[in-house]
Amino acid sequence: MNDLYASRTIARDSQLLLKKAEQDLLETVWDRYQSQLPNCGYCEMGLSCRICTMGPCRIDPFGEGPQRGVCGADADIIVARNLGRMIAAGAASHSDHGRDLVEVLDEVSRGKAAGYQIRDAQKLKRVASEYGIGADGKEILQIAGELAHAMQEDFGTRKKGLTLLQRAPTKRREIWNKLNITPRGIDRETSEMMHRTHMGVDNNWQTLLLQGLRNALSDGWGGSMIATEVSDILFGTPKPAATAVNVGVLKKDQVNIIVHGHNPVVSEMILRACQSEDLLQLAGQKGATGINLAGVCCTGNELLMRAGVPMAGNHLTTELVLATGAVDMMIVDYQCIMPSLGSAASCYHTRMISTSDKARFPGMEHREFHPDNAAEKAREVVREAIENFPNRGEVYIPVEPVNAVGGFSVETIVDALGGTAQPLIEAIKAGKIRGAVGIVGCNNPRIKQDFGHVNLAKRLIENDILVVDTGCAAVATAKAGLKIAEAAQMAGPGLREICAAVGIPPVLHMGSCVDNVRILVLAAALANALGTDISDLPIAGAAPEWYSEKAVAIGAYFVASGVYTVLGPMPPITGSINVVKLLTAGLKDVVGATFHVEPDPNKAAVAIRRHIEERREHLGLPFVKV
Amino acid sequence: MKKVIVHSERCVGCMQCMAACAITHSKTRDLFSAVLETPLPKPRIHVGVGLFNEGFPNRCRHCDPAPCQLACLPGAILRDLEFDTVLIDPDKCINCASCAMACPFGVLRYHEHCFAPPGKVVAVKCDNCIERQMQGLIPACVEVCKVHALTFEEPAEALKRKTDEVARSVSAGVSQSDLTVGFTLLNTHKRKQIELGRD
Repeated sequence: MNDLYASRTIARDSQLLLKKAEQDLLETVWDRYQSQLPNCGYCEMGLSCRICTMGPCRIDPFGEGPQRGVCGADADIIVARNLGRMIAAGAASHSDHGRDLVEVLDEVSRGKAAGYQIRDAQKLKRVASEYGIGADGKEILQIAGELAHAMQEDFGTRKKGLTLLQRAPTKRREIWNKLNITPRGIDRETSEMMHRTHMGVDNNWQTLLLQGLRNALSDGWGGSMIATEVSDILFGTPKPAATAVNVGVLKKDQVNIIVHGHNPVVSEMILRACQSEDLLQLAGQKGATGINLAGVCCTGNELLMRAGVPMAGNHLTTELVLATGAVDMMIVDYQCIMPSLGSAASCYHTRMISTSDKARFPGMEHREFHPDNAAEKAREVVREAIENFPNRGEVYIPVEPVNAVGGFSVETIVDALGGTAQPLIEAIKAGKIRGAVGIVGCNNPRIKQDFGHVNLAKRLIENDILVVDTGCAAVATAKAGLKIAEAAQMAGPGLREICAAVGIPPVLHMGSCVDNVRILVLAAALANALGTDISDLPIAGAAPEWYSEKAVAIGAYFVASGVYTVLGPMPPITGSINVVKLLTAGLKDVVGATFHVEPDPNKAAVAIRRHIEERREHLGLPFVKV
Repeated sequence: MKKVIVHSERCVGCMQCMAACAITHSKTRDLFSAVLETPLPKPRIHVGVGLFNEGFPNRCRHCDPAPCQLACLPGAILRDLEFDTVLIDPDKCINCASCAMACPFGVLRYHEHCFAPPGKVVAVKCDNCIERQMQGLIPACVEVCKVHALTFEEPAEALKRKTDEVARSVSAGVSQSDLTVGFTLLNTHKRKQIELGRD
C-alpha cells in the first residue's frame, strides 16, 4: 500500500478510497490541509485577534514586536477571548440541536408533527418528574407538552440554574456555586460569552476562562443533555444492537442512502421512509434488492444506537464514501458537513440534499425539513434516491464491513449489570477494572485517521480500563474490531473476565457527540452511589483527534465536571503560558481536574493510567504506583 | 551595507511578507485595489513548509556571482552596484527559464506584472525593494514582519548578535533559556505529531 495513503489513515477502507480519489482527481480534506501549510503561527498560538476593526491584531511571541493589541489586550486576554468564543460556538451548536428537538417534542404534544411520536413514555415521565412535572392523571402528550415548555425555560433568562444540574453530585454543585459558574440559562451563557469577549468588556483572562467553563456547563448539563434525553423520548432509549461499520456497509445491489449531520429529527424520518413497503417495492422495480441506509458522523451514530443502522465512516471518510460511486443520495442536516461535499459528489452520480434552513451548502439541493413536513419530505427524497439508482457508474466498495455492537445508553449498561451500577462499582473496587475512560471526539487531518482513538483504546483495555466512546472516536474503534465480544481477548485479564461475565465488548459505544452527556450521567451516578464527587472517581476523558469548536466545549464541560481530560491536538493557547498553566495544572485546585495535551496515544494511556491509579489511592482502593 | 537577513527559526508562517511584497509591486500599492488589478500582483518572496510544518521565508539571496545572471542568455539580468541587488530587465527577458534552472534556491517565478510589457510573461524575482530603498524606506517584507524573522541590518551586526548568542549558550553552568516558551511548546507538539504520523 502506497506510503502516502498509509500515512494519512490507519483505516484500510480510507486508504483504498484515497487511491481511488486520486485516480478520480477528487480533491480531499487531506489535499486542502497540505495547501494550507504552513499554518499561521499567530493563529495556532491564539495570538491573533479579529474581534474589532481597530485591529486585526497579533502579538509577537518573541517579545519584540507588539505585545498588546490596539485596545491594549495582552496575550493572556487575546488567547482567553479566542478560546471563549470557541466554547461559545460549540455550546451554541449543541444547544441549538437540543432546541430543535424540544420544538419537535412540543409539536408532537400538539399533534402537529406527523411521523414523530413518543417512543419511550417511561423516560418521558422520569425526565418530566425531574422538571417537577407530575404524571398522575395526565395524558402522555400533555406531559410531553409541559416538559417541552419547561425545557424551553432552561434556554432563557429567567432561571438561576439549569434543571438537570440536580443530577450532579452535591459536592460538584457546591464547587460550581462557589466559583460562580453554575450555568443559569443555556442561551444566556453563550450570549454572555459573546458579550464578555467584545472589545472592552471582560479583560481578565481568569474570569474569561471561568465564563468559558460556565458556558460549557450550560451545554453539558443543558443543551446537549436535553438533546439526548428528548431524542430518547422521541426515538427510543438505545439498547444493544448488532451493527456494522466502514465503507463496506454500502451494498452493490441496493439503493444506498447516507445520512450525514447530527439531528435525528431528520435521520429518523429517513429511516422510516427507507422501511416503507411501497418505496421498497419501487426499489425492486429499479433493479435494487433493497434500500440500504447508512450513516456518517453523529446522525449515523444516533441511528446506530437506536436501530443498529450501520456506519459507513467518520469525519475524514465523509468525502471518500462518495468515491465508491455507490452512494445514490447523501442527505445532510447540520454540523461537521464539509462544504466540499457538493463538488465531490458532482464527480459521481450522487445527489446531495440539504435539509436544514440553518445549513446550506454549495452544490447541494435544498429540501427543507420541518416537524410538520419531515415525514413526507423524507419519502420524497428517498423516492428520488431510488430513482437515481440506475444512474450509477463504476462501483468500488473495496472492503467487507466490520461487525460491531452499539446501543450502550446508561439505561442499557445498568440493565446489563443487573439493574444497578453496583457490579461495576464492585469490579472497580476489587481492581478487576481499574477505572473507566471516555474516548470522544473527531478526526483531524493533522493526525493519521483513527490512529489516536484505536491505539489509545487498545492500550487502555490492555490496562484493564473499561473504555466507553462516542462520536467519530466510536466509529474508529468499531472499524478496528474493538466493539465485538471477541475483542475482549485484547483486554487485560480483569476486564476480559468482566466482559465475558456481563456479555459486553471491552469498548462500549455510548452514542453521538451530544450523547457525551450519557458519560456525564454515568459518572454522576457512580459518584452518587459512592458518596463522592465526580473528580474523586478513577475515570478520565480523552479526545485524541479533535478538530471542532464543539469538542472544545465538550472538553471544557468534562473538566469543569471533574474529569481529567487528555487532548491529542494542541488547542490555540500556547500564546499564553498563563492560560496553558491554568488549564493543565491550576484547574486542579479550582475544579478538581485538568486538561493534558499528549499527541502520542501510547503516552496518553500511561498518563491516564497514572491518573486512575492516583484516584484509586485517594479513594482508599488497592492501587499501583505508575 | 544593510541587507535583508532571514531568521528562519522565528518564522510563524503568517505569510504577511508575501502579501506586503505583492502589494508593493502593484500599480496601486493598496491592498484592496491591488487584488482587483490586472495582471494580479504576485509576491517575490515565498513561504515554504518545513519538515515539521514550520514556515520558511524564501527570498532571492542576490548572490555574487549570481548563477541566474551567468545563465541569462539575452543578458537581461544585471547587478545594481549601489544597492548590491540583482535585477531582471523585463524588456530583455525572453522567458527561457534558464535563470530558474540555474538558481539553487527556487526563487524565480514566471508571470506578467505591471512593470513588464503588457501581456508578456517574464522572469520575476525579489528586487530588494530597490525603489523603496532609493526613497529611504526598508524592504516591504521586513517592514511587515512582526516577529522579526526578517530584519534589515548590517550583516556584521546581525552576526555579532548571533556570535553572542552562541557564546552565551556555551557559558559555564548555563541552562538553556528559551526565546519564547509558547512557540517552543507549539513546535515541540507539532514535531511530535508529525513524527507519530511518519511511523
